[in-house]
Amino acid sequence: MPDKHELLTRLPTEFGGLEAGPIERVEHELEPWEKRCHALADVLDFHKIINTEEKRRGVEALGAELIGKLTYYERWIVAFSNILFQKGILAPDDVARKMQEVATRLGVNTAEHAHANDCSKSMPS
Amino acid sequence: MVDLHHDHNHEQDHGDHDRAAAGIGTGDYVPGYFEMLEMSIGELLVERGLIGAAEIRRQIEVLDSRTPALGAKVVARAWIDSEFKKRLLANGRAACEELGISFYDDTGLIVLENTDNVHNLIVCTLCSCYPRPVLGLPPDWYKLKPYRARAVTEPRAVLAEFGTIIPDDVEVRVSDSTAQVRFLVLPKRPKGSENFGEKQLAALVTRDAMIGVVPVELS
Amino acid sequence: MAAPQIVLAEGEAPIFAIGDHVRVAVRFPIGHYRVPNYIRGKKGTIVAIVEPAAVNNEEEGYGRNGGSKRHYYRISLLMTELWPSYPNSSKDSLCIEVFETWLERI
Repeated sequence: MPDKHELLTRLPTEFGGLEAGPIERVEHELEPWEKRCHALADVLDFHKIINTEEKRRGVEALGAELIGKLTYYERWIVAFSNILFQKGILAPDDVARKMQEVATRLGVNTAEHAHANDCSKSMPS
Repeated sequence: MVDLHHDHNHEQDHGDHDRAAAGIGTGDYVPGYFEMLEMSIGELLVERGLIGAAEIRRQIEVLDSRTPALGAKVVARAWIDSEFKKRLLANGRAACEELGISFYDDTGLIVLENTDNVHNLIVCTLCSCYPRPVLGLPPDWYKLKPYRARAVTEPRAVLAEFGTIIPDDVEVRVSDSTAQVRFLVLPKRPKGSENFGEKQLAALVTRDAMIGVVPVELS
Repeated sequence: MAAPQIVLAEGEAPIFAIGDHVRVAVRFPIGHYRVPNYIRGKKGTIVAIVEPAAVNNEEEGYGRNGGSKRHYYRISLLMTELWPSYPNSSKDSLCIEVFETWLERI
């Protein structure tokens, strides 16, 4: 049973040397939003609004539960949100209002949608 | 190899992706929470003047233009041009740039030559570093725990899972990316390809051979 | 090697040379690190010096985009050094970039 501090000294994203099973040769074509998210990361790094290392640190800071449950690009966009809030570039309310606006524009019913689509992503990557 | 399809909901029509991406509501496609978060962040940053309206679209085009075919071109050129190969091994990024393969970020590239004495493979145990400017985006398995955990502890067992057996007298050398340098494996040129032209050679070179988990084969 | 009248800036010259024997420091940062746990305290050899000197990526993760530049070194470690269960006779190795402040000369 590891000591509590080991939860800090080994980041939940660090896998080198851990026990693991066979390699499943999975791959998937990126969804458009994932590709946009990747492009956003590159643009943010180019401008040094969020550099690539900040992104990595932001993903690590999500903690084990979110890292385990969110997919690869879901982790990125949440990390970007957190970092933008920390830097005072955006406020949580800015994002919440914009999301309502986007949902309305796309005809998404936010109340039932938030629950129904929560577990839609099948890749635990 | 498994190719997973994402089923957002049972009515999803993959053809709606582009329209959904353009923000036009469609009958079937329902964007998920995280997609709407991504759209919101992107729109806010453009509205605030922090990024240009066309920058993300442009970067998508940049990314779409990066595929393993670029790496294969580099490998094939190195196989037939020994002076190019010397320059490639001395400075991977500069040699790629000679072939018109620009690097859109600050990463460097070290090309790792497989020989009769050394077999190279690449991994990122901390995250998912990968030579994207010259290979495109990595496959999911490269980013998942089993590969990232075991490539550094038991590379031969990992290679065997890909069907690759390296003789004991050949050194297996694993490169774990941690900083600005990225890696590309220069696989051994397969026997029987001596008379192949550059394009024919490039057609043999797969992404997985440039990660180092499989050799390049003739068929 | 600097010309006689030139004074190099702090960190401008690499401290280590190719072939130097080094050990990865034993420290356990929290927050953000780029030196995997499995190489800490392990011995290796410098096989390449990455040029130019660059920002410490462990600080870069907190928004530091410049300053305090030093070199990263590609070091080679034997698998037998890293893993007790690896066959003794093996020449297999691992190469990894490490920031200068994490390396000690041995």
